[in-house]
Amino acid sequence: MTLAQALFMGLLQGATELFPVSSLGHAVVIPSLLHWSFKQSDPSFVPFLTLLHLGTAGALLFIYRSQWVAIVRGFFTAAFRGRISTEPERLSMLLLVGTIPAGILGVFLEHQFKVLFATPRVAAAFLVVNGVLMLGFEFLRRRAEGRAAVAEKTRIEQEESFGDAEHISFRAAALVGACQALALVPGISRSGVTIGGGLLAGLRHQEAARFSFLLATPIIAAAGLIEVPQLFTGGVPIPEYTAGAVLAAVAAYLSARFLLRYFRSGRLDPYGIYCIAAGVVSFALLTLGA
Amino acid sequence: MRGNALAAGLVALAVLFVIVAVLYAFGVLQIAVSDPSSHHHYTHAILFTGLAVASLVAANFARQKKTT
Repeated sequence: MTLAQALFMGLLQGATELFPVSSLGHAVVIPSLLHWSFKQSDPSFVPFLTLLHLGTAGALLFIYRSQWVAIVRGFFTAAFRGRISTEPERLSMLLLVGTIPAGILGVFLEHQFKVLFATPRVAAAFLVVNGVLMLGFEFLRRRAEGRAAVAEKTRIEQEESFGDAEHISFRAAALVGACQALALVPGISRSGVTIGGGLLAGLRHQEAARFSFLLATPIIAAAGLIEVPQLFTGGVPIPEYTAGAVLAAVAAYLSARFLLRYFRSGRLDPYGIYCIAAGVVSFALLTLGA
Repeated sequence: MRGNALAAGLVALAVLFVIVAVLYAFGVLQIAVSDPSSHHHYTHAILFTGLAVASLVAANFARQKKTT
């Protein structure tokens, strides 16, 4: 992998990890469309993805640094006391409950899913599925807005009638967490399905995005840290990979800032339409061998 | 009393998870692993350690608290 390719992949991973458009799907489809010679199955590609994930996790930790301090403190306080008293304590337990199903399904199913689905055409097809899911989440949300009789209000007022991440039920947190496992399929967006799950649980768009990003951090960081020893095997071009990771971190930081602002009043629809269009075009190009 | 029974069950579950974690870490357990030739399965071991911690936390929530 050249430096230019590493930088491009870092930018792509950092941006698409948090946008609801599937980073894994893009990482599988785009190198194939560009006829780049490196393969996802190449042993040196895993350390590269590891560094990119650590860059993304670092950006998320930086954005939510004060919240994470409160969450970690809240976790230990609530865990030792055996009772939840404050909002950070409740959020820490919601994140724990949400992380468990994703962790179990991720550890046991990731390899099988990669073997079955990590081909460019399948990833392109699942990008279309991801787009349909995003539009479906928004369809259900609009029905909920209709039931809440807020359809005539402004978007900001509509959003204010929905809840905060700290107040969803533990069952909803587990369901949102389980949704993350869908993202093991290349083409299905982790942030997309968790934001959608959050919307179904009655969260505001911005809060659904915040919960999604907080839920993602331990999983992304753990996935990265577990693979760190592979970085020190021979033949890994550390400088190029590190440059890609730094760019991934910058892209993830800017993406998260943009999305948190966008979701004050924005919806998932544009990303759904993008995924359907990108999936159809990619599938056609890959099938035609362009 | 019901809460204490549930807490005891969760502690037992945590012990079971720790045993499974150790077995995966030393490569004794080879169930649902991507590379059966590997002698250690640290990802699985970390997962089961996490589940053990979560079970202990749940046990502490479930046990009956003394009222002051």
